[in-house]
Amino acid sequence: MAEKKSVIVRVRRQAGPNERPHWEEFELASRPHMNVIICLRDIAERPITRDGKATSPITYDSNCLEEVCGSCAMVINGKARMACSALVDSLTQPIRIEPMTKFPVVRDLSVDRGVMFENLKRMRAWVPIDGTHNLGEGPRMSPDTQAKAYPLSRCITCGMCLEVCPQVNDNNQFIGAAIISQVRLFNLHPTGAMHARERLEAVMGPGGVADCANAQNCVQICPKQIPLTESIAEVNRQSIKQALLGWLFG
Amino acid sequence: MSAAGVRADHSFFWRKLHSFSGIFPVGAFLAEHFWSNSYALVSVAKYNEASRELQTIPWRIFVEAGAIWLPILYHGGYGVYVWWKGKSNVSQYPWVGNWMYLLQRWSGLIAFVFIGWHVYTERFLTQGKSTFADVDKALANPWYFGFYLLGIVAASFHLGSGLWNFLCKWGLAATSRSQRAAGYLGAVVAVVFSVVGVAIALSIRYHWRPFEFYVQ
Repeated sequence: MAEKKSVIVRVRRQAGPNERPHWEEFELASRPHMNVIICLRDIAERPITRDGKATSPITYDSNCLEEVCGSCAMVINGKARMACSALVDSLTQPIRIEPMTKFPVVRDLSVDRGVMFENLKRMRAWVPIDGTHNLGEGPRMSPDTQAKAYPLSRCITCGMCLEVCPQVNDNNQFIGAAIISQVRLFNLHPTGAMHARERLEAVMGPGGVADCANAQNCVQICPKQIPLTESIAEVNRQSIKQALLGWLFG
Repeated sequence: MSAAGVRADHSFFWRKLHSFSGIFPVGAFLAEHFWSNSYALVSVAKYNEASRELQTIPWRIFVEAGAIWLPILYHGGYGVYVWWKGKSNVSQYPWVGNWMYLLQRWSGLIAFVFIGWHVYTERFLTQGKSTFADVDKALANPWYFGFYLLGIVAASFHLGSGLWNFLCKWGLAATSRSQRAAGYLGAVVAVVFSVVGVAIALSIRYHWRPFEFYVQ
């Protein structure tokens, strides 16, 4: 029989939003194709630290386990990653697991990404179709526009683009690449375009597109390969046009 | 970074103006400045002639203040504020763009300090009548010469990288292909400005005049 290998995991824990964080280390039995979520599940099955102390299961968010829900983003070995696709075999041990730093911690690895939803609302990142009567069919979308819009629609609001952005911090209200890319997506939509100016005026406001400083980390980290720097430049182009010509021609 | 309590401001205008002012007039002036100083590579007489020409333009003080000093003060001052609003994380995420982000801030600061000292010594201490002899004397000091080289390379890098930033931030390069092209353009600008600027400093310090045969 082959020798049993083990996996060493260090988790940064925090009992509540205002509690002091501390580290706990665990030793788990290695299994083939293990990922970080499996590690956290194994800890929940037997919540005992490496030095034999009983502890509580670790709180974390996860759902789909295939990189499409966006909930399990965390900082693994110092880098923002989706825990479901972070394979243990590809990580140096001990594996350090921390919550994302740009969002308030709820407990352990679970963070509150509500700020992204609030900013999506502030940017009017939807297509308004509700009314008192049937508005009929909207305009058709050309295949060309569909091809541009589809990659943008894959955003899972995981928050990793905010996590790696040097412009997202306590000194800055920057909304981040994901939100700006959604402004582009809904301005691209033939029905959404009817409200393009409202979105541009919102995105030209505080923490808007002008706070991007072009470090381009967002496009490197995005787990959905969304062309975020193209989106930011396109929203820049639209808002510059609105700023230069809007006050002249309305 | 909270969505609540967001107050309207004019940061969009100031931020875009900051980006633009780095190209025009500040970058344009750097091009003019390197052009005029390149007369050092021809002869001392041509250099002094070009200097005298610029020193006797009409409305001089207004042109200097409006087209050079105020834009540089604004660009540098607002640049420090922009720096404060960001927190570099290049040790965690050492990607090229992230390095450029950090270098853009440091090169800007070095250039800003250098320009302040350079304007004070060569514009104000000489009462606006600087000649080849004045610059020659300053560059004879090895520390001053070193600071000149550092300032020239920092300003040139900052302009090249800033040109790339400007093209992205004004949405003029909005595809990844055009952004890559803008990056190459910025690199060419940074290298050309560095080479020309360093050649001027070398020319003045070592009295090296590769174009002297024009006037012989």
